[in-house]
Amino acid sequence: MARTLSLLAAMIRKNMLVTLRYPINLLGRFVTAFVIMLVFMFATLMFVPGGLQSLDSGAESFSLASTMIYGFVLFLFISDGLWIVGYNVRWEQYEGTLESLYLTPASRFLYLTSRLAEPLLWTGLIAATVLLSVRLILGALPMANPGLAFYTFALTLGGIFGSSFCFAAFTLLVKEAAQSIANLLQFAILTVCALFFPFRVLPEPVLILSRLVPLSYSVDLLRSALLDFPGGYPELASVQTELIIVTLWGLLMPPLGYLAYRWAEQRVRVNGSLAEF
Amino acid sequence: MVVEERIARKPRRSLAWLQSIGIMLKVAETQLRLISRYPGSLAIDVIMPIVTTAIPILLGRSLTGSFDAQAFAANTGTTDYVPYMLIGSSMLTVVTTALWNVGFWVRREQQTGTLEAIYLAPASRFWVLAGVALYGMVRSLVSLLLSFILGCLIFGINPLQGHIGLAFSFLLLGLVPVYGLSLIYGAVVLRLKEAGALIQIAQWLTSLLMGIYFPITVFPPLLRWIALVFPPTWMNNGIRAALLGVGWFFDSWYADLGVLAVFAVIMPVLGYNLFAVVERKMQRNEGVGTF
Repeated sequence: MARTLSLLAAMIRKNMLVTLRYPINLLGRFVTAFVIMLVFMFATLMFVPGGLQSLDSGAESFSLASTMIYGFVLFLFISDGLWIVGYNVRWEQYEGTLESLYLTPASRFLYLTSRLAEPLLWTGLIAATVLLSVRLILGALPMANPGLAFYTFALTLGGIFGSSFCFAAFTLLVKEAAQSIANLLQFAILTVCALFFPFRVLPEPVLILSRLVPLSYSVDLLRSALLDFPGGYPELASVQTELIIVTLWGLLMPPLGYLAYRWAEQRVRVNGSLAEF
Repeated sequence: MVVEERIARKPRRSLAWLQSIGIMLKVAETQLRLISRYPGSLAIDVIMPIVTTAIPILLGRSLTGSFDAQAFAANTGTTDYVPYMLIGSSMLTVVTTALWNVGFWVRREQQTGTLEAIYLAPASRFWVLAGVALYGMVRSLVSLLLSFILGCLIFGINPLQGHIGLAFSFLLLGLVPVYGLSLIYGAVVLRLKEAGALIQIAQWLTSLLMGIYFPITVFPPLLRWIALVFPPTWMNNGIRAALLGVGWFFDSWYADLGVLAVFAVIMPVLGYNLFAVVERKMQRNEGVGTF
């Protein structure tokens, strides 16, 4: 156990060290998150009669602006999950370290788990910075039902990271095409899971897709809880049903993702394309 | 003797020009051949503006329901918010493709170890860069056309509204300073190397400054001034004004087009010189091939 923990700590330390060696990259993530938030805030303002002034606390527009901000925080974790956990395996291929890494007796489970530290720490900090800047610009956002919101958020992260393991497996198989797919996927999730707007504005065919994606229920439950269940929320199912879906997704996805990764890894090792790029 | 020399020199000069253009075309062809091996990337170029258009439209509909067009008109000067967003998203793709192409070309050649070899070849850097820019222009114009037509079909927009010829003038003239800007960006990538991070920042900063979903009049004064010295802002507003009648920055199309023409002269010169300075510095310090 002690050896496992020390191995995990060493892997996390290595990942953190690499991150800190690229300060522009790190700083860029903070700047980008802030700018994206500004872009969508200005976009929201264009549909609000009276502009910024009408986004005052209590108005419907303010509650919908909060919907957008909370969705954006989740989007940060989804995006980093896809790129830092999922697509990262491609970088190891580029740098030529993936094959040698697989020759070491280090646990593959720990390798994947160690990759989670970065999105948890840095994305968490970025999300906190975004929320703080919104508080300074618009005022305090509604934060009702913190217990339920925290539970939903924690399990949502489990689901996101498990899905990222699946994407890492997919990256091993499709290689360079994974970059384009990750790009498209993050925007598709943004729309299908209605991260920036309520589900009610989605066209019916898209809404059918939304109901098939467990992340949609997480998004719905999290913002419904934080906004204190305003009329019409949650939109996709009852609270109990959404809780069951979120719990199952958050608990089952990490082991499923890991199994998918091991399967893909075995496949590329057998056909000799592990180090190919 | 002197006359004979002059006569002899003349065809040599035109041959040099032809060779230079040949280099440019060859570089563009190489890049096009490379990208044709990644059809997924080309599909993303077409799909991305449509996805990024859908987000603010849905956001707007959730805010004001059936009154969205009126609220939008009060803030921007047009009720046609769907084509307004589609133009913004498409223009962003054109600008970021330009930044991405030059910035990533430098970085990719560095990573694959071929940048130093290119520098040792007896070809002028200007024409090599012109080839990369030509490839970028072809790629972004084709993607723009396809995504705009597809977007019009999906969102039910009439693509033949407004002054199309004038919009094309803004687009074609605007591409010149945009590629000048991409050279400045390429110089930054050559110097700082972290292309991925720089592209992320540049992409979103560009979308903010050029007013992807909104007019820059909503900005505070300082940010508005910064946006006004950014050439893509003039290109984007020019196209919107020509097609949707949202209003020119200077009350007339020729004044706005004139400003864009000034940018078209300044930016490539500035960009190429800055690129050359950084390049020389890197060559002296043995930093061209390092990554």
